[in-house]
Amino acid sequence: MLAGKDGRVTQHYKIANIVATEGAHLANFDEAKFAHLQALSPDERADIAFVMDARDMSAALKDVRRLGLELQVIYHSHPHSPARPSLTDIKIASEFESTRGILNLPEPLHLIISLEKKDAPEANAFRIVNGTVTRVSYQTL
Amino acid sequence: MVKVRIPTPLRTLTGGKSEVEAPASDIQSLIESLNGQFPGLKDRVCDDNGEIRRFVNIYLNEEDIRFLQGKRTSVKDGDEVSIVPAIAGGVHPGDA
Repeated sequence: MLAGKDGRVTQHYKIANIVATEGAHLANFDEAKFAHLQALSPDERADIAFVMDARDMSAALKDVRRLGLELQVIYHSHPHSPARPSLTDIKIASEFESTRGILNLPEPLHLIISLEKKDAPEANAFRIVNGTVTRVSYQTL
Repeated sequence: MVKVRIPTPLRTLTGGKSEVEAPASDIQSLIESLNGQFPGLKDRVCDDNGEIRRFVNIYLNEEDIRFLQGKRTSVKDGDEVSIVPAIAGGVHPGDA
C-alpha cells in the first residue's frame, strides 16, 4: 500500500501475501478460482494471487491515520501477465468499494506492476469504480 | 442489539443482507450469535482454533478489534461492527 497527501505518495507499506500459506477458505475468491488455487503449490499460488495479511493491512491503515496521511495506492505485481487489471482484480476492487466506505477510506488508485518482460518491467495505474477501469497517469519524482 | 455490516462475499450466508443485528456482550458472543442466525458464518470468519482468520478484519466502530481486546472486546447496544475481508487480487489463467 502507498500513502501520502494531496496526490503525492510519501509512505510505503509492505503487506504480507498470505495466499501461499493460507490455502483454505479464501473467501475473496469465487469457487472456480478457489479450486484452482487449492490445486497449486504455495509458490505457484503466490505467483497468481494475493490476499493481504489483514493484520498488516490494519496496522498500516492505523499508521496512515497516525501520520495524518491518506491511503492513495494499492499495488501488486503480475509476474507472468500484462500490467492491467485482471477480471479478478476488477471484481475484488469493486467489492472493496463498499469496504472503504465502512473504513472511511478515500478511493485508492490501483498500481499493477508487470514482470512479464524481466528486462523491461512495466507499471500502470488505474481507477476501478463500479467495475469500470480507467487508466490514469502518474509521475515518479 | 449490535449492528453488523456484512461484506459481499459473506452475503450468501445472510440471504443477501448487507446489515444484520444480533444480541451480544463481546465479539466472541457476537460471532456465536451470528452463527446461530446464519449457520456457517463462523467458519468463514474464524479458523479451526476459533481465532479470527488472517484474511478477515473485524472493526468495532472504526477500530480493528486486534488493537482492542480481540474477541474479548466488549460491545454494547448501538455499536456497529464491520466484518471486512482483506484486500485481494490476482490472475486466473485466461482472465488477464
